[in-house]
Amino acid sequence: MKTKIFLIVACLMISITSCNDFIDLEPISEETTANGYDSARQIEAALVGTYESFQSAEYYVWDFVVYQDIRSDNCYAGGDNPEIFQVDLLDISPTQSRIYTHWSNIYNAIAKANLVLDKVVLVNDIALTEERRDQIMGEAYFLRAYHYFTLVKLFGGVPLVTEPLTSPEEEVNLPRSSVQEVYDQILLDLDLAGALLPDTYGNDASVNKGRATTGAVNALAAKVNAQKPSPDYNAVLEHIDVLEGSAANYQLINYSQLFSANNNAESILEVQYLGSNEGNFGPQLLLPPSISGDAWRKFATPSVDMVNAFDSENDEIRKNASILFESVQWVDEYWGNSPGTTIPFGYKWKNASGFASADNTYLLRYGDLVLLKAEALNELGQLSQAVTEVNRIRNRVQLPNLTNEQSSSQEALRTAILKERRLELFLEGHRWDDLVRYDRVIQTMNNLEEIDLRTGNSVNYNMTEQKILLPIPQQELDRNPNLTQNPL
Amino acid sequence: MGVVLITTKSGTTSKPRVTFDSYMGVSQVWKTLPVLNGEQYRDLMTELGYSTDWDSFNARTDWQDKIFQNGLSENYQASVSGKTESTNYYISAGYTAQEGAVRSSALERSNFKINLDQKISDNIKIGTRIAYTQYTDVDVNDNNNVNAGGVLLGALTTPSIIGIFNPDGSFTSNPFQNWENPLASTDGLEREFSSSRFLGNVFLEANIFKGLKYKINYGIDENYGIFDSFLDPFRTGFGSALGGQSINNTNKTSYYIFENTLTYNKTVNKHLIEALVGTVGQKFRFENSSIETRNFGSDGVSTPNAGAELFNASATKSERANTSFLSRLNYSFDDTYLLTANFRADGSSAFGPDNRWGYFPSFSLGWRVSNEAFLENTEVINDFKIRAGWGVVGNDQINNFAYLGIVSPGANYPFLGASQPGTFPATLQNLTLRWEESEQTNVGFDLQLFDNKISFTVDAYIKNTRDLLFQTPLPTTSGFENVLQNVGSLRNRGIEFSFNSANIPTDTFSWNTGFNISFNRNEVVDILGQQRLLAPIAGGRGEASILKEGEPLGSLFGYIFGGVDPATGNAFYIDRNGESTFNPTEEDRTIIGDPNPDFFFGFTNTFTYKNLDLFVFIQGSYGNDLLNATRIETEGMIGPKNQSLDVINRWRTPGDITDIPRASFGNIDNSRVSTRFIEDGSYIRFKTVTLSYNLPQKWIDFLKMNSLKFYATGENLFTITDYSGFDPEVNAFGGNNTVQGIDFGTYPQTRNLIMGVSATF
Repeated sequence: MKTKIFLIVACLMISITSCNDFIDLEPISEETTANGYDSARQIEAALVGTYESFQSAEYYVWDFVVYQDIRSDNCYAGGDNPEIFQVDLLDISPTQSRIYTHWSNIYNAIAKANLVLDKVVLVNDIALTEERRDQIMGEAYFLRAYHYFTLVKLFGGVPLVTEPLTSPEEEVNLPRSSVQEVYDQILLDLDLAGALLPDTYGNDASVNKGRATTGAVNALAAKVNAQKPSPDYNAVLEHIDVLEGSAANYQLINYSQLFSANNNAESILEVQYLGSNEGNFGPQLLLPPSISGDAWRKFATPSVDMVNAFDSENDEIRKNASILFESVQWVDEYWGNSPGTTIPFGYKWKNASGFASADNTYLLRYGDLVLLKAEALNELGQLSQAVTEVNRIRNRVQLPNLTNEQSSSQEALRTAILKERRLELFLEGHRWDDLVRYDRVIQTMNNLEEIDLRTGNSVNYNMTEQKILLPIPQQELDRNPNLTQNPL
Repeated sequence: MGVVLITTKSGTTSKPRVTFDSYMGVSQVWKTLPVLNGEQYRDLMTELGYSTDWDSFNARTDWQDKIFQNGLSENYQASVSGKTESTNYYISAGYTAQEGAVRSSALERSNFKINLDQKISDNIKIGTRIAYTQYTDVDVNDNNNVNAGGVLLGALTTPSIIGIFNPDGSFTSNPFQNWENPLASTDGLEREFSSSRFLGNVFLEANIFKGLKYKINYGIDENYGIFDSFLDPFRTGFGSALGGQSINNTNKTSYYIFENTLTYNKTVNKHLIEALVGTVGQKFRFENSSIETRNFGSDGVSTPNAGAELFNASATKSERANTSFLSRLNYSFDDTYLLTANFRADGSSAFGPDNRWGYFPSFSLGWRVSNEAFLENTEVINDFKIRAGWGVVGNDQINNFAYLGIVSPGANYPFLGASQPGTFPATLQNLTLRWEESEQTNVGFDLQLFDNKISFTVDAYIKNTRDLLFQTPLPTTSGFENVLQNVGSLRNRGIEFSFNSANIPTDTFSWNTGFNISFNRNEVVDILGQQRLLAPIAGGRGEASILKEGEPLGSLFGYIFGGVDPATGNAFYIDRNGESTFNPTEEDRTIIGDPNPDFFFGFTNTFTYKNLDLFVFIQGSYGNDLLNATRIETEGMIGPKNQSLDVINRWRTPGDITDIPRASFGNIDNSRVSTRFIEDGSYIRFKTVTLSYNLPQKWIDFLKMNSLKFYATGENLFTITDYSGFDPEVNAFGGNNTVQGIDFGTYPQTRNLIMGVSATF
């Protein structure tokens, strides 16, 4: 009997002594912050994950169309989402889920960049050369700058986060920085990135147009210097000069090829897609039934005013590259309030491929920078050089040079450049920012004549100074008591 | 704690006892909601400015009639049990098949069970419990609007003027928007979940010496589930855009438990002592894989192999483990003074190395007053026991590695023409994460009177939950949406009464009544001084549920509806200063309802007359508010959705006095989450009524049976409620225990009729 008891107690003891090991488990299908950033391949993966925000943050997938083209005079809202109609009608409430989505997605992208910057200096792996370590830092600085530029344009001064959060005990309720402070941070990051990045990574276009390069840094720096309060036009021109001298050899190409060939010579930086599970769902939301293979009303419809703008310049090439007309069974309240009307569709992306298109999206392209150069030259009083740059853009789409009237004064040329940008960059996510930069957004939206055929009346957009910026998302205000709302 | 519980049935007679049960039934929704007819819909669309070739839309389809059906069900169960001197066995098998009350929903289950106990010697017994279940179901898409394929809201908001199919065989859509009719969701998407589950254990019990017993138990739970879906490439818009889509997900959960316990029993005079110590180890292993292909040549093959495009293929694994030390002491004196003390230590892999262990004591005391001398001679009181208890229990039901900062793969991005591996920080590390603890104090008594004809039980409790495991929202500037933390505390207080009476206890006629009622109050005591908003409502209308200190859990949140301005037809609201406004700001939102009932009750009556039994169970809830968010979809009038019949009372011309605002395209100002959509969720319902007939003994004897019973049951036969939706017993956010009382096209409770037979041999 005693041996039996002994055996049993022994059994119990075995299970007791092993219990701490028994509950000490490690994740199988995931890594952790303690072991996820040790090697060269791991830090590369963290950087790839940072680029991935261009695919997963909906603003960069297609909502730039909503907040730049639909919000402005370029497009109407379509589809079935009341929130997008609110954007079209400039009635954006702080509880709108989309602005919260963009705010949080873009800050998530910034957090990834911060993490790369924090971890890359700690990697101790001979597979990571110092040259590559510098490039990784440069890429992360660039990406952080790109995202803060998006945020400051959408929301104004935002909290500046430049280090990763590692514990919930740290202070997370950051107040907003000023617009100036955000721009200072962007320019600081771009300075650092410019010193660390190469002109090209070799011969593969999907890398040279996919990863940050000096070309991307200078293009972004030029745009930032033009957009910031009290623009620095000399800096704009200096950055574009460096860009034009880049070994990457950026060139204006045939306009119609701009939207059929990914990673072409005009491209500086693009969101990369392959289709399938590396697919772009944006095109399906805009393309007509004959291409998309489905028959629902698409989310953005080119406006009457937009089509008139193309027609007023007889701009057939860019119009045909940007817009496709098709007869539809649904009712469009601006183009014909009855079924069977022929209406325009956004056509810069050409392939829908079942919500998984292989069409890339431009983040920066040289054509934009040529017009920006014209803008800077004009602002600095060098009108004739400015006209030359505008004509480069016009001549490639077989439009005549600007008329004398259009270049007769700085103000006239301003108007011409703004219109040229509208036609050149339609649906590429520039229009609202352009109108704001030119200080014409209030007048443009309030002078806009768009007839709602259901009522026969012109839509009252009721644009005000307060509506230039989006409201800070209410969901974020609820999370952070130190955050303040924009004037509503 | 995922402890395996197997209800133990075992043989009781040496002659094998055979039972057979079967029923057939039908279930249906008990209510439909009136919606606009074709002409009324056309009027509304015209008001919104829509026009179309109305003459081409001449169908008259009642979508609720298409969606709701009489769901048939059948059930069979059989068992054999018995025992010999050293063996005790129970074997059963069963089969159930059900169609749901909503088109296409279905469920099928077959199972068997074997329980076997065998004595090896006078001191050693072994046993096993084995159960196998094969399960299949087809679910319907609910809690979604028609935009997202929600079937119930689809039935309400699809206009009657379209038929089911287009001439080419595809599903029709709303005339103004490509929202397909609800049959596209029920019939256009093939989907099925099936699982097989093997649950079993073996144990050995040994008496080491008199009073000391050792038990070792090993149990497993193997659950293997497969979800298949196929969207054909022709009939739905989404299917044709994708060229068809087939998904196959498998998930396997393997669980085992290993228990060792020593129990000691000792009786000395009137002292009774029972002591237990033990250890328990439990482990889960989860394995998932999924595959998705697109681009199908036909609808002939629905499995992923027929899709030309491999869209997704992935597999993941995970684990969790618990280990526990148990101890328990029971002491009683003369069955009058009762004491139980428990102490357990639980370790969980869900917490970090410094916080894995939680220690949980509990005590209870009982005093059987009726055994005392001063009550011994009382005829009226048969039993009277006063109870009190205090204890702490722990909760570790969080994600498997919640304390770690998880770096997740899958953030891939293409360079060089191929997807490159990318990672992202998925969760924020929190090494301080620890067990959530609930401390409960309860007192109560049991009283039996008049030859046990009347029994009365009262329980009162206070439960304080501290170190609440809660997903704390973070400012998203941090890069994270939330972090799991031990924050704050909750309090639940309540009292429950239960009363049973044998009103008429004669042999030919008897009547028994049971009544129970419970009052519970809960309160968020502390969540770090903040408030948390939950449950966003479609269309950018903000969240509808709030967690706030000093308020009940799940309080409903929104604007105060003021009424409709007769001049403009716009809704106005009452702001935080008590002023009317058409444009309230987010700060004007407040608590607009409490989804927790004042009380909840159940009332049962059993009547027996000779061989007839009638059982009636009435259930009710009083004082709970519901947010009928379904009405936000069906009364919002912001687009081409069909609407509830109530909107014929909408404002149309200046001067109209009504409480339904005007139709206004794309404008949610008239349909904000507000008191307008808060309704009283109180109800009383005949939850169950069963009439059964037991065959008389002489016929039973003639048939050489033990018993034979026929019965008919009705569930949810009759409901009294002011709630205007399909059913008041709903929760659209059922997966979230801090959100309740919201209805958003939620699958309702159904009315069921069942006829059955039950026999033993």
